[in-house]
Amino acid sequence: MKVKITCKQAVDYISKKEEKKLSPMDQVLLWKHLAICRFCRMFTSQNKTIIKALSGFGHEQDYHLPEENKRQILEAAFQGNA
Amino acid sequence: MEMDKQSEFKQWVNDYSDLLYGYTVQRGMDTEPAKDIIQDTFLSAWRSMDTYKREVSVKNWLFIILKSKITDHYRKSSTKLAVETIEREHQDHTYFDAADHWKDGVCPEPWQVHFDNKIEVKEFYHILKNCSKKLKEIQTTVFMMKYMDGLESEDICRVLSISSSNYWVLIHRAKVQLRACLQKNWVQK
Repeated sequence: MKVKITCKQAVDYISKKEEKKLSPMDQVLLWKHLAICRFCRMFTSQNKTIIKALSGFGHEQDYHLPEENKRQILEAAFQGNA
Repeated sequence: MEMDKQSEFKQWVNDYSDLLYGYTVQRGMDTEPAKDIIQDTFLSAWRSMDTYKREVSVKNWLFIILKSKITDHYRKSSTKLAVETIEREHQDHTYFDAADHWKDGVCPEPWQVHFDNKIEVKEFYHILKNCSKKLKEIQTTVFMMKYMDGLESEDICRVLSISSSNYWVLIHRAKVQLRACLQKNWVQK
């Protein structure tokens, strides 16, 4: 049985945990790693920040389909119909 | 009659094309394919206008068509190739040393975002947007479906016709890459 995991594995485990695909035994290994590794602790919290930001992402942005493309849609539709 | 149909269709394009376009681009598609897909969506709508039963709102009906077009796009586009490229280009040794510990220079450094500070959040979003542009189209799509739309991984795999191991590579690499890019560009006050 594994007793220790590396940072690379820990980052993998963090993703798996988020997908709820981490076994309870591996969770223990992850906790043990996080207890001693501040880099991976930072990774964990920053990852959460990004996810939090993403869920509100895009709501304040406006997108506009250029007028030219709108015209093209109408032309293509009405021509094809003739 | 024909005039009515045309003016109604014009109204649809007026009312919903920006919305559909924004939806598509926000979900990671590049602007050129997105424009084609919007055109395709409206042309399909135009062709099936007579059979549209109005059981759903125009907006929802257009979204149903759009989503199936987006699915087609990813079925056709070389998703497999993109996954392979991502695997090749972003090896773990970009971030980890021979002992699988964080490498100097790319290891996590302290930064955070104060979500109650509107100005700070706005700046952070700006950087997040630029950083997500550096991801591959398919990667952003998976990422946004997961975190903006809140879809389950099984559904994402089904919609995009990718395997669960493809999904894993796409989302995991995107996460690691995005965090590294944010760290580089997000200067803490």
